[in-house]
Amino acid sequence: MAGLYRPRRASEWATCAVAVLLILLGLPLLIMGAELALLGGSLYYVVAGAAIIAGGILMLMGSVAGAFLYLLAWLLTWPWALWEVGFDGWGLLPRLLGPTLIAVLVVLTIPVLRRLQKTSLAQKGIA
Amino acid sequence: MPRTDLSAATALCGLVLLSATAGIAPARAQSAYKEAPPGPGDADAPGKKPSDKFAGPSPFAPQAPGVNAANIPDGPPAGPGEATPAVEQIGSHPAHDDWPAYGRDTDATRFSPLEQITPRNVGQLTRAFVYHTGSKPAPGQVNKWAAETTPIKVGDGLYMCSAMNDIVKLDPATGKEVWRHEAGVKYASIPYTAACKAVVYYTSSTVPEGEPCHNRILEGTLDMRLIEVDADTGKLCEGFGYHGQVNLMKGMGESVPGFVSMTAPPPIVNGAIVVNHEVLDGQRRWAPSGVIRGYDAETGKFLWAWDVNRPDQHGEPAEGQHYSRGTPNSWATMTGDNALGLVYVPTGNSAADYYSAMRSPEENKVSSAIVALDVKTGSPRWVFQTVHKDVWDYDIGSQPTMIDFPGQDGPVPALVVPTKRGQTFVLDRRDGKPILPVEDRPAPLATDVQGDPRSPTQPWSVGMPRLGLPDLKESDMWGMSPIDQLFCRLKFRRAKYEGEFTAPSVEKPWIEYPGYNGGSDWGSMAYDPKTGVLIANWNVTPMYDQLVTRKKADALGLMPIDDPNFKPGGGGAEGNGAMADTPYGIVVSPFWNQYTHMMCNKPPYGMITAIDMHTRKVLWQHPLGSARANGPWGVPTYLPLTIGTPNNGGPVITAGGVVFVAATTDNMLHAFDAKSGKELWNDVLPGGGQATPMTYEYKGRQYVAIMAGGHHFMMAPVSDALVVYALPDGK
Repeated sequence: MAGLYRPRRASEWATCAVAVLLILLGLPLLIMGAELALLGGSLYYVVAGAAIIAGGILMLMGSVAGAFLYLLAWLLTWPWALWEVGFDGWGLLPRLLGPTLIAVLVVLTIPVLRRLQKTSLAQKGIA
Repeated sequence: MPRTDLSAATALCGLVLLSATAGIAPARAQSAYKEAPPGPGDADAPGKKPSDKFAGPSPFAPQAPGVNAANIPDGPPAGPGEATPAVEQIGSHPAHDDWPAYGRDTDATRFSPLEQITPRNVGQLTRAFVYHTGSKPAPGQVNKWAAETTPIKVGDGLYMCSAMNDIVKLDPATGKEVWRHEAGVKYASIPYTAACKAVVYYTSSTVPEGEPCHNRILEGTLDMRLIEVDADTGKLCEGFGYHGQVNLMKGMGESVPGFVSMTAPPPIVNGAIVVNHEVLDGQRRWAPSGVIRGYDAETGKFLWAWDVNRPDQHGEPAEGQHYSRGTPNSWATMTGDNALGLVYVPTGNSAADYYSAMRSPEENKVSSAIVALDVKTGSPRWVFQTVHKDVWDYDIGSQPTMIDFPGQDGPVPALVVPTKRGQTFVLDRRDGKPILPVEDRPAPLATDVQGDPRSPTQPWSVGMPRLGLPDLKESDMWGMSPIDQLFCRLKFRRAKYEGEFTAPSVEKPWIEYPGYNGGSDWGSMAYDPKTGVLIANWNVTPMYDQLVTRKKADALGLMPIDDPNFKPGGGGAEGNGAMADTPYGIVVSPFWNQYTHMMCNKPPYGMITAIDMHTRKVLWQHPLGSARANGPWGVPTYLPLTIGTPNNGGPVITAGGVVFVAATTDNMLHAFDAKSGKELWNDVLPGGGQATPMTYEYKGRQYVAIMAGGHHFMMAPVSDALVVYALPDGK
């Protein structure tokens, strides 16, 4: 499990792309979120950024746990968003719309990652 | 197996990762965007001494050619005088069908008794005609246009000025041009904005009816002239000033075109034209004077001056002298009170808006205030200040409205004063005392600006509903996604913010909120005296500002307009300013994400409110303006969502029960039910509707007119179209 998997099929390439996307989106959250936390602001972003990056890396390594880590972060974002702005539609928009669209993509990668894991285990078994 | 073959995946994914890291960099680096404050700890520049290339001209230097735009011979300095006795003007008692003054009447109610258009039929409005003023940027010219014009209608004429001060008379039914007076204003004379809010209708007391210039149209120009023309022919009135014109640059001392200008209609009170003018913000501490002057409406003769730092001298300055420099200027439309013999002057700030250490005690008493001047002498009778020691550009932009305040012991002559703070003050016109309670509340004192302490308290009008939202919080920051929202949260935390009166700061940016375009800017309010309903549209637009050292200001290329190296269109009143002659320059930007051009705070950015003045309760209030012409990166979304956009331009209320307001950045004219606030109708204009609409009746038909001139600063498309609506024939 120490390395990255090699995408072969289109679905695997797409999964890789989603994983990279998570890392891309997680990095600014982590970096700017760390400064925000240091300035006394919300801790959500640095934590969410770390979780999303970790999820992306795990997915690149072919682990379905990465997808579940993202989905967990997404799920916990809801109560956080409602706690911060209540049921204010404009307020919820930046907090939930984008992450939810990404969550859909991440859900789609789960079967691919499951299959990759099986293959990987099978290969290890053979070796 | 996966270990051995990293090439494809890693190369691909790694490349994207790299570029992502690079993509974050601009968000953290100092932006090259000219309107972004330099950021924490970056208000100074390394290395060289401040530039001494430009030492600033002496205020005694003669005015350069072109500053006296019409080359009008001045003659010797005039002493104080008295106005020719005036006859009653139509603005005081407008005919039912007319809209004879900028605010419809001298009270500035923006209320029309017309009732042909009602909530039931307003949906059928169609365009009766579109008139083109011909004034818009020529190819290659920096766009500085925002006409802001409200036509007036008297009898058989619709009179208006173009953004560049040409005066026209139109047929009220067809929009056909009856006459045009070309003012000959040059591009260089445009200050911050080419605007002309309205012309003034004047009936002479000395020229008999039927002779030329019995009825006259008066305007003040961008290049500081008063012009009077005959209302029937548009020909200059020879008996007024020098062949129909008065040079308002007389006595102003050193200046350049565009530094000082008139954009608001000067009121005529008991025969005296009262003249104020805009002095371009942010240029230098010793900018030309904000003096207020009176001139005889009949002859154009100088009557008096109110010059803040020469309070006892009401005549023109002696030869080689000039009015006191850097004093608070008044650029808003003033309101005249014939009965009390007063003019209510909404003042702004002393020159160099964001630094107050060099202001005189006299200036500190009258800045960002309403000053009631006696129109016979030019002496202040009372002063009411809305911000003490203003360093936030909270000058008063709106025209105050005169109402009979429904008091317990009968009506009280009152003045309703809208402000950019969203505080609405209601004053007794006789003595300036607040009718509704005003509380002095503690204001933040912390500042890193040496020797420039802030006022410990500021006035709050607690008896009127606040036209504003609560102080900003980090969680109010907005965006399309968590990332741009986080960018704004970070911007919020990197700045100094202690509420509405957060003192200016050098060490890091500070947030100015509601902002200098917040609350009521120049739009003013509408008041139905029959129902006691007050209509106000207002803004929620925080700003992100930072003081910078002189060295840094030089490094940023900030220079005053009278610097030989100044580039026209490079700096403006509402942007960065050199504030020459002071230790600091100012960098000002909207509190936005400078990459997406979306505001950092969540919507709404503009609202409309109806207040019952009998109870001071809000009757209705909702966001004003849709998202259709707005969106990230300035790309229109075409979403019909009412998001509440920034808006500039006032409302109109009619006896028919309809409120008309354009103003918003969705470039639409809106009609609301005055009772419920429900939007009944709207129409997309050919340009931004940043002007106050007006309504009139002609030959039995009611019309609604709006100048769709747009606004360069609000990024609303510029046009030269006056759009006039009416119900279809026979309705």
